[in-house]
Amino acid sequence: MELTIRVAELVRALQRVQGIVEKKTTMPILANALIKAKGKDQITVSATDLEIGMTADYEAKIAKTGAMTVAAKTLYDIVRALPEDTVTLKQGTNQWVDIACGKIKYRVVGMAAESFPTLPAFEEVPSFGIEPKIFREMIDKTLYAVSTDETRYNLTGVFCEAVKERAGLRMVATDGHRLSVIERPTETPSMKEGVIIPRKGLVELKKLLEDGSEPGKLGFVENSAVFTKGGVTLTMRLVDGRFPDYQQVIPASSSRRVRVAKHALTDALKRTSLLSPDKAQGVRLDLSTNLLSLSANNPDLGEAREELEVEYAGDPLKIGFNFRYLLDVLAVLTEDTVELELTDELSPGVIRGAGSEGYRAVIMPMRI
Amino acid sequence: MTTRKIIHVDMDAFYASVEQRDRPELRGRPVVVGGPPTSRSVVAAASYEARRYGVRSAMSSAEAKRRCPELVFVRPDFSRYVAVSGQLREIFRSVTELIEPLALDEAYLDVTHNKLAEPLAGKIARDLKLRIKKELHLTASAGVGPNKLVAKLASDHQKPDGLVIVPPDQVDAFLLPMPVEKLWGVGPATQKRLHDLGVHTVAELRLLPESTLLERLGNFGPFLRRLAFGDDPRSVEPHRVAKSHGAERTFEHDLRSVSEMDGVIDRLAERVAGEVAEGGRPGRTVTLKVRYADFTTLTRSRSLPSPTADATRISKVAQGLLRATEAPHRPVRLLGVSMSGLLGEEEALQLELPLDV
Repeated sequence: MELTIRVAELVRALQRVQGIVEKKTTMPILANALIKAKGKDQITVSATDLEIGMTADYEAKIAKTGAMTVAAKTLYDIVRALPEDTVTLKQGTNQWVDIACGKIKYRVVGMAAESFPTLPAFEEVPSFGIEPKIFREMIDKTLYAVSTDETRYNLTGVFCEAVKERAGLRMVATDGHRLSVIERPTETPSMKEGVIIPRKGLVELKKLLEDGSEPGKLGFVENSAVFTKGGVTLTMRLVDGRFPDYQQVIPASSSRRVRVAKHALTDALKRTSLLSPDKAQGVRLDLSTNLLSLSANNPDLGEAREELEVEYAGDPLKIGFNFRYLLDVLAVLTEDTVELELTDELSPGVIRGAGSEGYRAVIMPMRI
Repeated sequence: MTTRKIIHVDMDAFYASVEQRDRPELRGRPVVVGGPPTSRSVVAAASYEARRYGVRSAMSSAEAKRRCPELVFVRPDFSRYVAVSGQLREIFRSVTELIEPLALDEAYLDVTHNKLAEPLAGKIARDLKLRIKKELHLTASAGVGPNKLVAKLASDHQKPDGLVIVPPDQVDAFLLPMPVEKLWGVGPATQKRLHDLGVHTVAELRLLPESTLLERLGNFGPFLRRLAFGDDPRSVEPHRVAKSHGAERTFEHDLRSVSEMDGVIDRLAERVAGEVAEGGRPGRTVTLKVRYADFTTLTRSRSLPSPTADATRISKVAQGLLRATEAPHRPVRLLGVSMSGLLGEEEALQLELPLDV
């Protein structure tokens, strides 16, 4: 195989797959990108970690057809550093790949294209359109709550299901301590049952959404989710597991409602948390009429206390939270004022943007 | 050294009795505390009605149901057992501060010198039993002896609602006919090795030379010999705070299949989770111990993002760790699961969402 391609085009292709190729793997070929000739004027660049895969076409001049695989990270680092506009890649004997760009020559190790795993190819995927901006918001507002604990495999992705009442998609994530649920209007989702999209897939999907403003389409087929946008196809193997019944842990009504300025609360939490215990990361919230007092106590370092004016008319309450969980939610809220809904010191609390619908973050308190 | 006076108090079918006490509809019926028979749970406690059907603690819930189809399964509510255990501790403290709790329902008391200035340990034990019955509406078995070994064997001698007093001059008569597996530290593996030597009772054990015991049982041998002679040097330690909880098992036949090992890990994890829950301080680090047939032993640990007392999570981590060992290519003679990194007493506990995961 031999091809000539614009450096910028190849950089774009390789940059896209950097998050997908496996750095630590027992299958060395998964660290490689597959480059395949498509007709005379195009190449297809693919990568996979067997869970998620990405494939897209790029413009190139094909001098000799064929396919090759090269370490995606190495090739990316090389191409990115090239000074000229175009680069030539040529397959030699024993899978060596010669890279030439003016006076610059590289010879890098490749692996046989035949041993590259076959990406799942789906002929007809029933799919529905999602506004990139809306989809990005939905991912931002759920991804942080996904569990990183492999012993809770069914929580290591975001649960997606069709909203029944109107055309829309609902996404839910939880790590067992906090839960985040968002619904937004979309085209009618082409799915019967809810599915769990793995965390890594959504991280890549989010990057794609930020790359150009073309509309995207999401579909589900067999045990995969398929997202297409601007000629790029991302396939994600769904998490095989049952997502827990999340509705039951979202408090229906709360007796205590607090309204507070988001930035003031964020800053106060960041200051107070400087003296919270290292492992537990707990801060204490003391609520009384129109006053929220934050405090933290690290036995090795000392104490911090700060008072904040809020709108609150309920009974006094002392409650503990992991400050990280509160900050994670505050970071993704777009509204300037937020509402905290609390029941008692042992029941889940809810945070949402004041006056906004469709997004709620539930956080379980700490027993302090 | 003056003769010590030790009492061992052991509540009768504790969890099950608390449930029967608080839920009159369960009284007189075979009850076990533990997960439902459809789960892979084990019995944490069985009422005496259930024991008549051969139901025992640590038996799988499914097996228990087979033995006694009308068995009532009650989910454990450790917070209540912890509360009752606290009341029990208060009763003990009226006698002495030298209390060593072994579990929620079991403790040693050193009453050699006591707050009541009562010289008769037997009388103290009788009074404790009466107060437990009157104030907690539960029954306990108590044993009195010159050391922990004898006191514990004595409390076990006449369950339920028993009281057995073994004065120093009757220790020999009490111990000699005992089966060796009753002695502290003798598990199924040691028991088998002793049986192979033709030793079944304490009397027979006493006849074995120390060198043989050292050779067959290692360093534990000479210690076991001391126990056989009724000599138990262990003192009652009131401030023992557990740093970890663990359970292990040595197999009569080496295990060679992963599914068998996974099953054992499930059961060990259940036991560890029970202990962790009793202690009230969930842990962060799960350790798996593997001993191969050639006695090479290794441990593998993993820490969780958040503390847990959940048997399923402990088991999953330990089973994952097993995959990082050479088992089953090398046969395995012992498996152990333990939990450390326990939440500090002052440390705040992140509560879990009540999700059914």
